[in-house]
Amino acid sequence: MTNSAPSTADAHPAPGAGDFAASAHRIAKSYGRGDAQVVALDHVTVGIPRGRFTAIMGPSGSGKSTLMHCMAGLDSVDSGEVFIGGTDLTKLKDKQLTRLRRDKIGFIFQAFNLVPTLTALENITLPMGIAGRKPDQEWLDRVVDTVGLRPRLKHRPSELSGGQQQRVACARALASRPEIIFADEPTGNLDSRSGAEVLGFLRSSVREMGQTIVMVTHDPSAAAYADEVLFLTDGRIVDTMREPTADRVLERMKGFDLPGVSAR
Amino acid sequence: MMTKVTLRNLMAHKVRLLLTGVAVLLGVAFVAGTLMFTDTMSKQFDDLFNSVGKNVAVDVRAKKVTGGDEDGQNAQPIPASLVDKLKTVPGVKSAEGQVSGYAAVVGRDGKLIGGSGPPQLGVNWTGDDGATRLSSGRAPNGPGEVLLDEDTAKKAHYRVGDTVKIIVAGPPQSMKVTGLVHTGNMMGATITSFDTPTAQRLLLKPGQFSEIQLGTTGVSEQVLRDRVAAQLPGNLEAITGTKMREENKSDVEAFLGFFRTFLLAFALIAVFVGAFIIFNTFSMLVAQRTRELALLRAIGAARPQVTRAVIGEAIAVGVVGSTLGIAGGAGLATLLQTFNGGGSLVLTAKTVIVSYLVGIIVTVVSAYFPARRAAKIPPVAAMRDDVALPQRSLRIRLALGSVLTVLGAVLIGTGLAGAASSGTANAVLVGAGAFGVFIGVTMLAPMISIPVVKVLGWPFAKVMRVPGRLAQQNALRNPRRTASTAAALMIGLALITMVNVLGASIRASVGSQIDDQFGADYTVSTDGGGGVDDATVGAIAKIPGVRSASRAYTGNAVIAGKKVDYTAGDMPALGKAARLTMVSGSDDPGRAGILLDKERAKALGASVGATVPVTFADGRTVALTVKGVYDKSDLLGSRVVSENVHLAHTARPIAQVVAIDTGGAEAPRAAIENVTKANPALKVQDQADLKDQVSKQVDGIIGFITILLVLSVIIAAVGVVNTIALSVIERTREIGLLRAIGMGRRQLRRMIRAESIVIAVFGAVLGMAIGIAFGASLQQALADDGLNILSIPYGTLVTYLVVAAVIGVLAALWPAWRAGRMDVLRAISTE
Repeated sequence: MTNSAPSTADAHPAPGAGDFAASAHRIAKSYGRGDAQVVALDHVTVGIPRGRFTAIMGPSGSGKSTLMHCMAGLDSVDSGEVFIGGTDLTKLKDKQLTRLRRDKIGFIFQAFNLVPTLTALENITLPMGIAGRKPDQEWLDRVVDTVGLRPRLKHRPSELSGGQQQRVACARALASRPEIIFADEPTGNLDSRSGAEVLGFLRSSVREMGQTIVMVTHDPSAAAYADEVLFLTDGRIVDTMREPTADRVLERMKGFDLPGVSAR
Repeated sequence: MMTKVTLRNLMAHKVRLLLTGVAVLLGVAFVAGTLMFTDTMSKQFDDLFNSVGKNVAVDVRAKKVTGGDEDGQNAQPIPASLVDKLKTVPGVKSAEGQVSGYAAVVGRDGKLIGGSGPPQLGVNWTGDDGATRLSSGRAPNGPGEVLLDEDTAKKAHYRVGDTVKIIVAGPPQSMKVTGLVHTGNMMGATITSFDTPTAQRLLLKPGQFSEIQLGTTGVSEQVLRDRVAAQLPGNLEAITGTKMREENKSDVEAFLGFFRTFLLAFALIAVFVGAFIIFNTFSMLVAQRTRELALLRAIGAARPQVTRAVIGEAIAVGVVGSTLGIAGGAGLATLLQTFNGGGSLVLTAKTVIVSYLVGIIVTVVSAYFPARRAAKIPPVAAMRDDVALPQRSLRIRLALGSVLTVLGAVLIGTGLAGAASSGTANAVLVGAGAFGVFIGVTMLAPMISIPVVKVLGWPFAKVMRVPGRLAQQNALRNPRRTASTAAALMIGLALITMVNVLGASIRASVGSQIDDQFGADYTVSTDGGGGVDDATVGAIAKIPGVRSASRAYTGNAVIAGKKVDYTAGDMPALGKAARLTMVSGSDDPGRAGILLDKERAKALGASVGATVPVTFADGRTVALTVKGVYDKSDLLGSRVVSENVHLAHTARPIAQVVAIDTGGAEAPRAAIENVTKANPALKVQDQADLKDQVSKQVDGIIGFITILLVLSVIIAAVGVVNTIALSVIERTREIGLLRAIGMGRRQLRRMIRAESIVIAVFGAVLGMAIGIAFGASLQQALADDGLNILSIPYGTLVTYLVVAAVIGVLAALWPAWRAGRMDVLRAISTE
């Protein structure tokens, strides 16, 4: 596998294959009708390797957020199949999708990640609370210590800084030991120091805890924390990059900004 | 430009403003409906009384010496000879002797027709006049013939030629219907007409009239009155026909005025509750639009312009709500009118103006504070996320709320103690005090809500876990909003609770008085004005096992310049039946005596042996000797006069109650009932029956008032819907987040429902606490008037708590459904 031959994009992952935590098989999605139709995803096939930190990059309107939403069961696809573990999301009803999100997926959004009426600790254990499960105390302690939030657990979100709030969101995503975590521009609202903290923490949770994380971002320096970067343009995966650095990602991205270069 | 902003905002928040409009609509509908209905009734009565006695120029009647002449037993009869004498007065064209009295018709089902309020009249038939005409059959002629009015005949299922039973003061009469009389809308009154001798015999006294009505040859009413008055003996008076018609009207008008004020008071409560909803909605709208309003300020809108923009919205809501409210009121009045015999509705300009004023003023006043707050939004809020609206600090609120509550309580206390000069002034004091307490508690409610909502939310957090906990937290999130939503519900429930506490206290107090004082084994009493006739009393006295059957009469007299009432009857047997406790003297007033209760004796400075001058209804004054003084008696009242004295001074004595002593035996009851069954106006009761009857009367009143208060509870429920719906919209992103991380639709709906229940129950709890306090203070104030036991109907209160929870569930239906339907993706990406 080389940088120029995007393995994940071309290799059609077998449904529910063991080495992919999540995969999409020729998924298509478009908005609007007729002349106003916008193709967000153009038959994308992608596999997210287990225990890795994958970043999805692309210019605005490239369909990166749509791809994430579809893979996370937040949005429906027009055609194709989406797998989380061995489950085909496109076959699930809303109730089952909700349960799957609750039990198998963790989410980190750009903003408004926490329920303002709950304390940090309550926010972290919220998905398990909704499911009516008791959190695994030992694991919870490890997660809390890793994000370094122990002294702030009793605080409400309004009493935490933006970086701390995002770390609480990360801890919430990790605490239920999901199959996969989807992070949508998790550092978009943070200053660079807090952003670096959060990204460092995400990377270490992959390295040390074996968590699978997919992150959508348009920030090359954020993408540099990932093990692998997928480049998305016009609803297609056009490239992948291993062991990215901010400079290389930036360089690659510049190409997309030029008209005509992005496509084929 | 700002007008455009106002209009656009109205369009953008249609649904929210619609709910506010509903609050205005319901309140205004109540006001408009009341005005229209009472105007209509008033016009119908006017029409009726303008036609009754239209041709009467002068009316001759007995002077009223004492108060109270509802049952006609005090009316001083006029000898028939006076009619002929007055015919000779120059200018008198006609002189018609009128007889009127109590006569009720027994329907085919054996029950009396009418009787609960409107009079059951018997009169002598003097031919067609402006108000009445014979519509079928012929005039009555002879002792066994009667005319019925058309409505009564229809209700009783009688036709011309049928035999009908007529109840009068005396034995029931069996008579033949010779014709029907068309009377126009009598609004529930019944009229039976006899020929003059029969009417005199049954309703008054042979050869006597109740009134003489004179027609004029053309001389003015006033001149004729003066001429006639000169011919009258001292106990009679002459009034002009105009005055007579006015008096007829003013009696009804006084009643209608009271009825209207009574209904308007409840309409006012509904409007007051609506004001809370309006205030709440506008507060929430302003809070949601902080950024937009700040932007307007940033680009140069002045504060007054922002205020005006919000007030403009309020005026629009007020106008639309009032317009629909007037239409709703017309519907309400039409509905009421169908129960009242139909007829077209009277819509006056006054009704329209008052309705619009009420609707618009309430909306604008309620929206004023949110509008002021909107103007205080700093322009910088447009640029920043975290600028909170300036809020009055909770400490100031605490102080203001406490002061208002205490002030209100003091006003209530002052009013109840009767410190003001008149009853009306005292009532106003109590009303203003209650208003103050409601506002004060509403201001305190945010502080109260925090611990109470924690407790109320606890079971939800326990049972529903995370969704329950979130619901509890959400209800605590904006204590002001929770509090003012709950406050709207509080008012209705406070008043309902108060009425129930009072009702239960009346039941308990009267029950214990009956236990203490009701010493008779049975009583026979009457539903109508006919009393218990002598033949019935005689028959009962002869029943084996009946030791005594003692009549009780009530009468009116003037003692020491005051119009008072008294009891007379078979003493001392009646005293035993009422378990009279003597303080001094004898329990038998003898032939020319009077018994007084302690308080009255003290007030008159009269002890046993003293003489008290008493003026009776016939105008004569008798010096009665005080034979005894007794402890307060609720059954006999404050004065007991010798039976023979009462009979001598009363035109048509009517025994209201007969107390029967059987020595405790129950066996004679069947025989007593056998005697009374000929007259459906009579009922036989023992102690338990009497208590039961009181209970039923109290229940009826509680039920009626509760129905009038239900509208304000409905308005409050609309408020809960509004608050929950707006909260759901405000928390769109949060709901999206919860759904994204795995909260199911059903859990979400449950969470919203739980929040709604907590708010509703909080309002109910507050209301009940206030209602119990109000009820208890009223009971204390009335303790001396016989309301000596405070009883709190816990069972009923628990029912209302459950009802409040159900209101919470219903109010959450629509918002919860909407929240569940929200698209997760769109929700989390909402700005």
